[in-house]
Amino acid sequence: MKTSRQCALAVGFIAAWAPDAISKNLIVNSYGGPYEEIIRERIIEPFEKKFGVNVTYDAVGSASQDYAKTKATGGRPGFDVVVMTASQSLDGCREGLLQPLTAAAVPNISSLNPQLRAIAGECGAVHELQYLSLVWRKDKLPEGLSSWSDLLDERLSGKVMLPTFQNVMAAYLISVMSVTNGGDLLDEVDPGFEAVAALAKGSLGFEQSSAVMENYIKDGRAWAMPFWNGRAQLLMESGLPVDYVRPKEGTVPLIATLNVPIGSENKEAALEFVNFWLEKTSQEAWVTGYKVGSARPDIDVPDEVRARQITTETDLNALLLPDLSALSQRLPQWGARWEREVVTQAR
Amino acid sequence: MTSTDTLSITPQPTRLPIRFGQFLPLAPPSIMLIFIFAIPMGMMIALSFRGADGALLTLDNYQRFFSDDLMLAGLWRTALMSGLVAICVTVMAYPVAYYLARSTSRWRTVVFALAIAPELAGVVLRTYGWLVILEDHGAINSILIWSGMISEPLPLSKNLLGVVIGLTHVVLPFGILSLLTSIQGIDPNLERAAQILGASRLSIIRRIILPLSVPGIVSSLLIAFTMSASAYATPALLGGAGFKVLATMVYEQVLFYIDWPLAAVMAVLLLILMLTMTLAGTRAEARLQRKLHV
Repeated sequence: MKTSRQCALAVGFIAAWAPDAISKNLIVNSYGGPYEEIIRERIIEPFEKKFGVNVTYDAVGSASQDYAKTKATGGRPGFDVVVMTASQSLDGCREGLLQPLTAAAVPNISSLNPQLRAIAGECGAVHELQYLSLVWRKDKLPEGLSSWSDLLDERLSGKVMLPTFQNVMAAYLISVMSVTNGGDLLDEVDPGFEAVAALAKGSLGFEQSSAVMENYIKDGRAWAMPFWNGRAQLLMESGLPVDYVRPKEGTVPLIATLNVPIGSENKEAALEFVNFWLEKTSQEAWVTGYKVGSARPDIDVPDEVRARQITTETDLNALLLPDLSALSQRLPQWGARWEREVVTQAR
Repeated sequence: MTSTDTLSITPQPTRLPIRFGQFLPLAPPSIMLIFIFAIPMGMMIALSFRGADGALLTLDNYQRFFSDDLMLAGLWRTALMSGLVAICVTVMAYPVAYYLARSTSRWRTVVFALAIAPELAGVVLRTYGWLVILEDHGAINSILIWSGMISEPLPLSKNLLGVVIGLTHVVLPFGILSLLTSIQGIDPNLERAAQILGASRLSIIRRIILPLSVPGIVSSLLIAFTMSASAYATPALLGGAGFKVLATMVYEQVLFYIDWPLAAVMAVLLLILMLTMTLAGTRAEARLQRKLHV
């Protein structure tokens, strides 16, 4: 009798403890490489320490693959938090695949710039901003570059690397080239296509992955190219003779968001994680660690970081911000034009 | 009457009673095929007829495909690439398979190991290997430029040539194995008899070995064609930005444009292309066999 009572108590204890133990696990899906090292050190480990949650990091898949997986599984992809782009966040929210993030569930979301919050929609928490920069080799071009039009300079013939259209950088390049040449971000893009076609004629070629594009600038085959500024900063800090600039005509940001799939099994911990990453101290740690900008204008970062990154209201106001939903709808049409008008021009 | 009845009785073939237990061993593979092949394939075909407005049965997606010159070019490029690889694989595999089938040398094992060695490394790894060799700054162009034979790099990669070279390497072991099985089945005494009767080596190959190995040749062509048509990594890495085939186009539609019905159309057309080639191949084989009176 005593033994069975003890057993019942043990079962009761396990039953009471088990749900709590499950909620103390969290699967975060994001990128590998330098990103993984920095996210572990600056975000995941402090989060685990503070909340006692065991985080499993899943570095498999690009943001597009993760979005496709979320869509294919009806919002139950097997991870609880995923890093995507604002565009995917909007699409996922519209299709009911992602959890809306309210200020009640994620209090720090209220501290983000309202314009960026609106761009990312109600399911995305903007945790990082990069921008399309112009990167060049200082040993080949000591005088540097300052305008998007500089890519068409004679000296750079055969020395510029371009992205394929499957890298969102290509669509952004069309937009900024349009603005530079008298068009606009979305509707009047003929000048942009003409400029990029001319650029393709004298380019080294096209690569889809940013990591592969990076190799061309590392080994000096490419002297200049459009590139995300966070990666450009990491290249600079690795000791390569590389520099980058926000061109004078302006640039388009790459807005990265944290998202929680609607069918997340550890939603409570997921929302806690999103909120933690948006905290002022976490944003400061992330901006100084991964060398990116933040949607929180109140962060304190060293001046040299502030000079290069998007961290203030003034920086944010200077950005060219296309309507991402409209851009997403134009992608198939732009993709076909890219194949016909740009790729065919390459040597 | 009785005697007539008795005489009209003809022996009937013995029919074994059909027992449920006989089909039991077929159950696991059948169930597996239904779940992992038939149902997903059916879902994919159904998806290809789904409209953007939610309609369950529309030809809009097929119309979009067939009215777009870029997509049609992708279909044509897939057929051309796969056809070229099938021919290259079969031509290169034949002498190796013949040597392996007939040789008694101790080098036979070494040649066999070398023939299937490419399969020990992954496709992506092998393709990157070819990229290192074929690209503008790769081994071949560097040697040719260094030796002064050329001044500008030859276009060996980021085009059809690069993809055909890469895929031929990937598929070659399968071609060798299918031809090897066929050539091993040809009685070596036929060759000896022809030799004794004064036939030349070329004549033996043309009149005996080639006709008898037609099933192996067709099988090698079909395996190489279908494997190439569905290959993704090699065309994506060695083909460059302008080289789109159905497999890379499906990937783009699924992951970048998130247009799954159009991706399903492409997948269905890829399937039809492969089934058509298989049917054409087997019919051609039968016709050739009849013509050769084999």
